[in-house]
Amino acid sequence: MAVGTVLLVDDSRVSRMMCRSVILRHHPDWQVLEASSGEEAIALCQGVSIDFMLIDVNMPGMDGVTTATRLKASHPGARITLLTANIQDTIREKARATGVEFIGKPITDEKIEGFLSQGVPGC
Amino acid sequence: MLGFSELQRDAITEVLNIAIGRAAAALNQMVDDEEVRLSVPCLDFISRSEAARRLHAETGGAPTVAVKQCFAGPVAGDILLIFPESRSLELVRLMLRNTAPLEAMTELEREALVEVGNVLLNACLGSIANLFRRPIDSSLPVYLEAGGDAILNLDGEADKEGRSLDTVMFVHVEFALAQRDVRGYLACVMDIASAQAFGQHVEDYVLQAIGG
Repeated sequence: MAVGTVLLVDDSRVSRMMCRSVILRHHPDWQVLEASSGEEAIALCQGVSIDFMLIDVNMPGMDGVTTATRLKASHPGARITLLTANIQDTIREKARATGVEFIGKPITDEKIEGFLSQGVPGC
Repeated sequence: MLGFSELQRDAITEVLNIAIGRAAAALNQMVDDEEVRLSVPCLDFISRSEAARRLHAETGGAPTVAVKQCFAGPVAGDILLIFPESRSLELVRLMLRNTAPLEAMTELEREALVEVGNVLLNACLGSIANLFRRPIDSSLPVYLEAGGDAILNLDGEADKEGRSLDTVMFVHVEFALAQRDVRGYLACVMDIASAQAFGQHVEDYVLQAIGG
């Protein structure tokens, strides 16, 4: 894809910073948006076209699964994944049930680029 | 008498080895595949005060930083990632590589360590939950800065000198990066009821694994 827009939702600034760094290393001209909570992400995304969303699970306020469910409904064309240190099978199952993907932390180039290189659904 | 039989202890140590191994694998990925050396997990039934004293001794009484998460579910307790303060920055620099300017490191150090703790502690708890096939809920990670003896929560019944009389299951393991002077500890504290539940879940896991 030519130019993509990626949304990072994570209460950890360091985690967002690392993820942004990986994305821009592989796609220097892409736009990366950041939100530190589910609520902020939903507000930020209103009326904005997003190609990829990477969403943490354990966050203060709205959890990542709820956030992903809401964003999937409002942005059905986006490819969405949970990006979390919580590697429990129950969280993987919730991701599957929600219709989003699952990436276990730690963040690595291979994991993030593996997700982004699949493109967006239907393209 | 508190504690486990030799066979139970062996099974518990094996489960802990798997969990801590998962955490070590996560750390290995965070520091560019540098080898992470692990000690054998040490499991004891001791008072919280004694656990704190041991931690204090192992860290040489130096200031330490820790990331703590409380967990609940089939078992409950506290799990901590502990570093001597002087070595924590080295780990943060390794982890962030060139993604942060050096002048921003001090400000970011705490947040970076919390994220390291988040990943490692959840790797540990997550693999235990997966082995037990039961979800474990955990709190958000909390950053602590104190002496090794003050890192452990000393709430509970105490003697006249303020030493905790609560007996707990105390598990700890030392890890180190093979090629750098970075070492730390993973520690877990459970009360007796949780320790017994933990033992029962380990037994169920072993029986299931051997087809019993």
